[in-house]
Amino acid sequence: METSDEIKEARDIVQTLLKAKKTLRMYPQNNPVYQKTLEDVNDRFREFFTYTGTLSLKIKQNSIFYEDEQVYSNPEKEDNLALFFFKDGLRELSFNKGLSREELEEFLRLIALDFDREAIDDDIVTLLWEKDFRNIQYVVDEAYLVDADAENYEQVAEEKLKEKVTDVNDLMRAYSDGFAEEDLKQISIVPLTDNDLQTLVKELEKDSGDKIDKLVSILFQLVHLAEQKSDFDDLALYCKDAITFAMKQGTISTVLDLMRRSREIIENQALPEDAKKNFRTLPFFLGADEIVGSLAEIFDSGVEIEEKVLEEYFLYLDKNAIEPLIKYLGELKTIRARRNIIQALIVLGKKDIHTVARGIEDQRWYVVRNIIYVLRKIGDRKAIEYLLKTIRHSDIRVRKEGIRTLGELGAREVIPALRECFGDPDIQIRIATAKAFGNIESEAAKRVILDQITAKEFREKDFEEKKEFFEVLSHWKDQEVFDFLLKILKSRFFFNRAKMFENKACAALCLGLLGNKDALPVLYEMRDSNNKLVSDFTGIAIKKLEYGN
Amino acid sequence: MEISEERELHKAAQDIINQLSVILRTAQIHDPGNIAVVTAIEKFLLLIDLVTQTESQVKLEIVGEFFYLNDIRVRYPLEYLLNFDFLIREFKKREVGRVVFRNGIGSNDVQVFLRGFLAAGFSETPYETFTSVMIETDSIEIGSLKKIAEGTDADARKVIKRVYYHAVSFSQGVMTKIQAGEKVNIKKAKRIVESMVDHILEEEKLLIGMTSIKDYDEYTYHHSVNVSILSIALGQRLGLNKRILTELGLVALFHDIGKIEVPNDVLNKTTNFTEDEWKLIKKHPVWGLKAILKLRGLDNTSIRSAIVAFEHHLYYNLSGYPTVMKYGELDLYSRIVSLVDQYDAMTSARVYSRIPLSPDKALSIMMERAGSQLDPLLFKFFVNMVGVFPIGTLVMLDSKELGLVYESDVVFADRPRVMVIIDSKGEKVSGPVVNLTEKDATGRYLRSIMKTLDPNKYKVNLAEYLL
Repeated sequence: METSDEIKEARDIVQTLLKAKKTLRMYPQNNPVYQKTLEDVNDRFREFFTYTGTLSLKIKQNSIFYEDEQVYSNPEKEDNLALFFFKDGLRELSFNKGLSREELEEFLRLIALDFDREAIDDDIVTLLWEKDFRNIQYVVDEAYLVDADAENYEQVAEEKLKEKVTDVNDLMRAYSDGFAEEDLKQISIVPLTDNDLQTLVKELEKDSGDKIDKLVSILFQLVHLAEQKSDFDDLALYCKDAITFAMKQGTISTVLDLMRRSREIIENQALPEDAKKNFRTLPFFLGADEIVGSLAEIFDSGVEIEEKVLEEYFLYLDKNAIEPLIKYLGELKTIRARRNIIQALIVLGKKDIHTVARGIEDQRWYVVRNIIYVLRKIGDRKAIEYLLKTIRHSDIRVRKEGIRTLGELGAREVIPALRECFGDPDIQIRIATAKAFGNIESEAAKRVILDQITAKEFREKDFEEKKEFFEVLSHWKDQEVFDFLLKILKSRFFFNRAKMFENKACAALCLGLLGNKDALPVLYEMRDSNNKLVSDFTGIAIKKLEYGN
Repeated sequence: MEISEERELHKAAQDIINQLSVILRTAQIHDPGNIAVVTAIEKFLLLIDLVTQTESQVKLEIVGEFFYLNDIRVRYPLEYLLNFDFLIREFKKREVGRVVFRNGIGSNDVQVFLRGFLAAGFSETPYETFTSVMIETDSIEIGSLKKIAEGTDADARKVIKRVYYHAVSFSQGVMTKIQAGEKVNIKKAKRIVESMVDHILEEEKLLIGMTSIKDYDEYTYHHSVNVSILSIALGQRLGLNKRILTELGLVALFHDIGKIEVPNDVLNKTTNFTEDEWKLIKKHPVWGLKAILKLRGLDNTSIRSAIVAFEHHLYYNLSGYPTVMKYGELDLYSRIVSLVDQYDAMTSARVYSRIPLSPDKALSIMMERAGSQLDPLLFKFFVNMVGVFPIGTLVMLDSKELGLVYESDVVFADRPRVMVIIDSKGEKVSGPVVNLTEKDATGRYLRSIMKTLDPNKYKVNLAEYLL
């Protein structure tokens, strides 16, 4: 290949590198644009290596040279490929013929990193060094590592060290003592054994784990080494940093260890209040948005966490964690993660029911439904005022959950609001309402259900809905309900017979559920009813009363 | 070549070296026709075959203290360490520096090689004996051990010196910056340490040699760099990889950072410390921990740095300082840094300890401490690294020459390279550097160490000779 062609190709390669630097940053690895860009760069190199073994680029501040010819120039600071390499001391970059696609991709991914935005502790030279590419070599100007005022450091230091010339007389004295000194007693080199190597392998394996636990144990040594108040203040800061780090690493156990140790400090009678004060702030720190965010990430990562560990962790949380927990509850991707957050809210809601309950104002219906669930599990009637709002929520799933919860909380004041729900156009809501009354189990609740069943319009309801209402009625196993059901069963009618038979069948079923065997004679009579529904349900009820199933 | 293929080749290279060592060891015990030897040879040939499927030959070379297979340096895997060392030692004894195994090699060829190897072991002219036997085969070729050209050596020393002083200058800058409350450039620190790691991997002895030149006035900065270099070198012996060596080097560089809190008038005091002053000095591990934790956010390196800063004066048996309660065992990095820290401190003139110990004296004191103050296993590796006569040891030779140990020998720990400073006529000279492994025509060593002397007692300025 002619030199001019080589230069042209080198220029093209630099341009494709520049393009790849931008593209690989923007697109994920599986994106066709990413793959196409990678192919382009690879093809360019393959073409170049058909004729030449090495592409060696000299890097200047704003330009790149190949064979003394400028192949790239950019006076601007932005998107300057030359400056990108030059600023970290890189002065020459060479690619050899053996460059594989895999190696090239790794190289491109390095240069595509956004060093300005991402928290990267390494510069491009360190990253290249760590990769140790076989077919990409570079030359670095080490002067970059030396501050301008220390350029002559080596020369000055060496001259100074050599200033004091060894006295000849001292040397001669050493020489003559060399003959007089006692014979050599050297220490011996003990050869390494297989056993040594095995011990070493074990040591190295042991060493490969995280070191944050070790740091935590050292931090608590500082409690006993502290001398002044500021030492304790510092210590609390370090503990917070350790918590942040451990949570980002996903090591909840480290945080638990730290919290246990801090509790020991707080409970230690011998320590001054100054030592304890800052440790008392740690539970509050655990509730900070950043830490809860890390907790949510751990949950979403799918990593297995023992239930016992989680329970203990939640106990350390303070109520300030509630708001961030609710925030992340809506952002989590997995059911298991949401279940864990819900569990945390159940624990924390016992400390501050109002903040948890305010979560029902969230715009996301699924968050509201989860909060209602949390409130139900907490079982604190202080949540009722918030729950009452949910029975008018636009989402049916929220309404259903709210009604159920109100029923389980079972307070008298929920009855008027719940009764309104019988007017809901959705059958599921009406059934849920009936069940809620069933859970309340008070006389007033019974009255509401009886009123609903005796109401004129009840007859026209779907059989499924009627059945649910009667099943709810079976919660009250008293004489009034027994008589009420017998009355329905014995009633005679001439109009709308199909609907009335439905009521009879439901009443029979309910009698079975009540468990009162006095109903058996009437049920035997009804068993041979001409109406199949009545005869079937009566049969079921008889079986239940006779055999208890 | 794909990266995965490359890894496979590297693994194959390690296996070949290991298996060759197994053959030679077995052949030293058994007859060449013994089943153990024959089986070992068969296994070896399979490994060679694996490589010659893609490469025309297998060229095994010794460069410095390392093996290169087909021009690629082969890392010492920990499980093969003893066999690698054995092979280096036996090759050097026979002055063999290269063996080429060609495609089509068979067990007869390896048997010839074995015969030559065994014969050379008893010969006063081992290499010549070896080559005379190797005429019988065309499939294996041996080459002599190359001596490092003096010119290259001198250039390497210049580069090493520059790397060392960059590090010292950086170390000084770090301390100044922290004292002034300025930010420390960690990226730069990493680059400095990476450079040291690279040079330790290539020229371990030269960089370790730099640590023997102590600068009394700039002790703190030199000490930090020395501890970093010695830690990396020891880490390399333990088989740590490049990335971990960098971390270890960084951690070691910052181990004494707490000393910036010790008032200068205490640190530079020329008389013995009072009890109160010692109390202050003993606080520097805690101050170091705090300084590192305040320097930047937590990451794996800063955590390890903080741990080492805190633990480096705690002994293996948890005595030392600071006083700890209910404490687990020391971190591995801490045990490494603590060991090399002691060695460098003992062999340096410091403000509060004007008379340093000679390197060999320091080693013998440390040997007594191994198991109580120092990790005994790490100490074993350390002695194997610095040799019985560390660089800077003043030695009397049986040739009636006085010299300074200039470079240690990895294989022959008691036969370093020595710079002669008084010749056999009793006249002061500056060189030559002689190799104590050199023998005369009858196979006897030309020079051996007879006695060691304390260079500090005679105010020998090591920099004058070793820089």
